[in-house]
Amino acid sequence: MRAFSSLHPAVSMLHFAAVVAVGMFSTNPVIEVLSLAGGALFCATLTSPEQKKKDAVFYVFMMLAVVITNPLFSHNGVTELLFINGNPITLESVIYGCYMAVTAASVMLWFKVFGEIMTSDKIVFLFGRLLPQISLVLSMAFRYVPLIKRQAVKVSRAQKAMGLYSSEKVVDRIRSAVSVISVLIGWSLENAVETAKSMKARGYGLKGKTNYSDFRFTKTDFCFVFGCLFLLVITVSGMAIGKLDFYYYPSITAVPSDIYSLICYAAYGLLAFLPFTFESGEMIRWKYYKSRI
Amino acid sequence: MLQEGGQMKRKLSFLIVLLLVPAVVLAGLLLFDGKQYAFTSAAVVTLAVFAFFLSFEKKENAGTKLVLIAVMTALSVAGRIVFAAIPAFKPVTAVVIITAIYFGREAGFMTGALSAVLSNFYFGQGQWTPFQMLTWGLIGWLAGLLAAKLKTSRVLLSAYGFVAGISFSLLMDIWSTLWFDGGFNLSRYLTLVVSALPHTLLYAASNIVFLLMLNKPVGKKLDRIKIKYGL
Repeated sequence: MRAFSSLHPAVSMLHFAAVVAVGMFSTNPVIEVLSLAGGALFCATLTSPEQKKKDAVFYVFMMLAVVITNPLFSHNGVTELLFINGNPITLESVIYGCYMAVTAASVMLWFKVFGEIMTSDKIVFLFGRLLPQISLVLSMAFRYVPLIKRQAVKVSRAQKAMGLYSSEKVVDRIRSAVSVISVLIGWSLENAVETAKSMKARGYGLKGKTNYSDFRFTKTDFCFVFGCLFLLVITVSGMAIGKLDFYYYPSITAVPSDIYSLICYAAYGLLAFLPFTFESGEMIRWKYYKSRI
Repeated sequence: MLQEGGQMKRKLSFLIVLLLVPAVVLAGLLLFDGKQYAFTSAAVVTLAVFAFFLSFEKKENAGTKLVLIAVMTALSVAGRIVFAAIPAFKPVTAVVIITAIYFGREAGFMTGALSAVLSNFYFGQGQWTPFQMLTWGLIGWLAGLLAAKLKTSRVLLSAYGFVAGISFSLLMDIWSTLWFDGGFNLSRYLTLVVSALPHTLLYAASNIVFLLMLNKPVGKKLDRIKIKYGL
């Protein structure tokens, strides 16, 4: 039930880049909160209940750590609250810490869902046209990682069975690790050269070679791209003319709240909540169909 | 004819990357007032990696070369996963340096940069990915440049591994500082560096261990494969 991940990879990529670039580098608190809420809700639709609990604990602690440590590093700001070791703790740096915490958490959440949505095959597909050789390298490496991991376990077991490096001492563990890597390099390189020969025999690099892909650009994708770009242009235009500017130092400025900035918030909010809405819409439709059976 | 068209297209995309750098700086100034340093550095680093990639794509590389890079990348990533239990003992840098010494600076850069992307599929992608790509890539590229010297001298090889380990941490901390403060806050940078110091030192030392123990046997194997398959 992952409606969002059935979109064309380019569309997911565009949406992700738009939300994260603005959320990551804007200093406006409203934008940051919208980005965090959108990311957290989307993440919640994708993860299991236990994972949700774990994530919540992790992100709350991380945010608290950022809020507490920022005033210790940064003594900018004009409103002094108290002094520690002769250094002022300012209201502005506490608030800036909150802003940093929200931004950090939201960016990490968006990257987390991005990892769920953009699987390796999509990344390889996306960059395949522009960087065909590198995409090929990457997709081969993806294949080799589990292969090598499996072989590593085999080699290490064989070594243990022969009575080599069998103690739990750190020195022994390191020596074992090094010899496993050395064995693996020999083994996988021989494999690799065989692959390369086989590729050559089948005509890799000849003219007229095509790639297989099962991604299709549908009408939904088109609407999605159009919507994303529209919302992004509104938000960016607001940023370009300074409608979303917000400063923490030396003293906190007022949160912009004229009509133009409100429209920008609405546009960015829609952009950030788009995947969540899409996903829950699909879920509701699924439940509805199921109830009719 | 087709070939030439492809070349032109790639030259053009190279030019676009070069023109994009000033455009990015300007956009950072206009759009992200207050966070322009973080934005500009992230965008410029991404473009730098991209420029390297495009120059690699400009050539028609032999299948063997591509497969070799793929294997070395997979090895460093699998190593990072298999030895995740021993803290700070990660063979990525060592594998990148060895690849660079035996297969040249370009293979070194590609292995370093691709190891960063690939391993982050397992350990979590983030805004740090482009910085890791560039840093590991450059470590490989420089090792390839110094290959003749690193191949013969164990002292130089250890020194390079140590310096590479330290610089990796120092460079990544610069990015963290820029991102957190929107500018360069020296006291935060120093705190980050000092608090990570034990880990950084252990990491640098582990590079030396890996390099010294791996260089000879692996070097022998690589040379043998080069002869066997006529690479």
